[in-house]
Amino acid sequence: MSDTAAARRPEAGDHVSPASGPWPITLDNVTVRYPNGVVALKDVSLSIGAGEMVAVVGLSGSGKSTMIRTINGLVQPTQGTVTVGPHAMTSLKGAALRRARGDIGMIFQSFNLADRTSVYRNAMVGRFSHTPTWRTLLGISTAEDRDIVMRALASVGMLEKVWGRAGALSGGQKQRVAIARALAQEPAVMLADEPVASLDPPTAHSVMADLADINADRGLTVLVNLHLMDLARQYTTRMIGLRAGEVVYDGPAASATDADFEQIYGRPVQQRDRLGEK
Amino acid sequence: MTAADAAAPARTDLAIPPRPRTWPKAVVVGAALVAFTVATTIPAIGGVEIDLASIARNWTNGLDRIGQMLTPDLSILPRTWQPLLETLEMALVGAAISAVLAVPLSLWAARPTNPNGVTRRAVRFVLNVVRAVPDLVYATVLVAMVGVGTLPGIITLILFDVGIVVKLVSEAIDSADAQYMEAGRAAGGNQTQINRVTALPQSWPAIASQVLYSLELNVRISAILGLVGAGGIGRLIDEMRGFYRYDALGTIVLEILIVVIAIEIASNLLRKRLR
Repeated sequence: MSDTAAARRPEAGDHVSPASGPWPITLDNVTVRYPNGVVALKDVSLSIGAGEMVAVVGLSGSGKSTMIRTINGLVQPTQGTVTVGPHAMTSLKGAALRRARGDIGMIFQSFNLADRTSVYRNAMVGRFSHTPTWRTLLGISTAEDRDIVMRALASVGMLEKVWGRAGALSGGQKQRVAIARALAQEPAVMLADEPVASLDPPTAHSVMADLADINADRGLTVLVNLHLMDLARQYTTRMIGLRAGEVVYDGPAASATDADFEQIYGRPVQQRDRLGEK
Repeated sequence: MTAADAAAPARTDLAIPPRPRTWPKAVVVGAALVAFTVATTIPAIGGVEIDLASIARNWTNGLDRIGQMLTPDLSILPRTWQPLLETLEMALVGAAISAVLAVPLSLWAARPTNPNGVTRRAVRFVLNVVRAVPDLVYATVLVAMVGVGTLPGIITLILFDVGIVVKLVSEAIDSADAQYMEAGRAAGGNQTQINRVTALPQSWPAIASQVLYSLELNVRISAILGLVGAGGIGRLIDEMRGFYRYDALGTIVLEILIVVIAIEIASNLLRKRLR
C-alpha cells in the first residue's frame, strides 16, 4: 500500500484519503493551559516529517500526553496551531474535526476498549469516521468495512479472537486489538500514548515491534510517548524530550546519551528508567 | 526485653505527621442530625405530631383484622387467578415498554454519553417531573381519560418505570469508568456512534438490572392501581376490603408475596448471568 504513495501533496480543504502517503505534523508555538491553571505545554514548536518514527520522552506530568492529544484535537491549545497533513487541527470543529481525527490513529496506555463487547465491534470503532451515523445506529456495516476490520485484526494476529469479548483478553492482546482499531481507520499518522506502560516487558517489546512495523511497512508517521529510555533508543529514530511542558531535547534516539536523558528527566538516570530484558 | 520494646525507640525516629482529629467534627454532625430529627416531631415549631399514646389506646382495634389476615381463607383462590394473571401481564408489558423507552433516555441523561448540558438537563428535568407525580395520581387521571381497565394501569406503570430506570441507569453510567469514549472520539466518531457501539453494551448490565427491579415493583404497585379502577389484583383487594373479608385479603397478600419472591429469585439468577 505504501508504495503507491505518490509525491502528490494533499491540498488543504478537500478531504484527501490518507492512502496518498504519510503526513507531516507541525506544532507552532503551542501552549496548553488547563482550566485549573496548570500549563501543560509552553510554547512548543515542532516539525515531524512524513514517515518519521518519533519517541516523545518525559516523566509523567511532563506534558507528553497533552502534546499527543493536541495533535488529534482531543485537547485544543490555548495558543498556537497544529497541522497534520492537510488538516489545520486547531481551526477545525464538528464534522470536519471528526473527519480529520479519522485519518489519525491513536492507541492508549489503558487500551480503552469497551470490555463488554466483542473484539469485532471494538475494531469497528475505527471505521466511525467513514460510516454514516444511521449505519452505526442500525448496526449495518458495509462489506468493505468488515473486510478492512478483519484485515486489521489479522495484521496484529488477533483474527481468531474476533468474536470473543474484549474484556476476556490479556493486556497484550487488548493492546493489539487497540492497534487493529487504529489501523482500521486506515490512518496516515499513528499516535501512541504510553502504549506499553501497562504491559510486562516481553509483551511491551512485541507491541513496540508492532509499532515499528507499522512505521516501516505501512509507512505511517508514528509518534509514541514513552518514559523508558531503552525503548526509545531501540525502536525509534528521533527523540523529543519534554520536561515541564518544554522541549529540552530533540535529536536522534539511538545515540542519545545517559546525560541527555538526565537532562530530560531532570535527575540522575535510575534503574526504573529502563525496561530491560529482550 | 521483648521485640516490641526493642522496636519502640526505632518507631519514635519516624517523623509521623500528627493524626488529624476528626471526632469533634463527627460529634457536631451527629448532634445536628439528632437535633434536626427531634425538631421535626415538635408540633410547636411546625413539626409532625407523633402521638405514641394513641397506639396504646387503639392497637386492639386492628388486632382482630390482623388475626383474620393471619388465618387466610383459601376458598378465595380460584377467584384470584384471573386478576393475578392480569397483574403479572400488566407488570411485564409495563416493564418491557419502559425498558425500550429508558435505553435512549438513560444515555441522554448521563454526562459521559451526553456531554451537551442543555439537552441533558432538559431530559433530567422532564424525568424529575414524571417522578414527582405519584403513581395513584397517574392512574386516577388515566382512568378518567382512557376508561377503566388494564390500559391506564399499564401506562401508569410505564411512566413510573421510566422515571426510576432512567434515573438509576444514568447514575450508573455517570459513575462508571468511560475510557473507551476517548478511543471513539480519537477515531473521529460522533457521540451517537460511540454510544451505540461502546456505551450501550457497557451499560447493558445496569439497564437489565434496573428493568428487573422495576418488574418487581410493578407487581406491588399494580396491587394498588386496582383501587382506582386501573385493573389487576387491586380490584379484588378493593372488593374484599369493602366486605371486611380480611381473611381473603390475607390470601391475596400471600399470593403477591409469593409472586414477588419468585420474580426476585428469577431476576437474581439473571443478574448473576449478566455480570
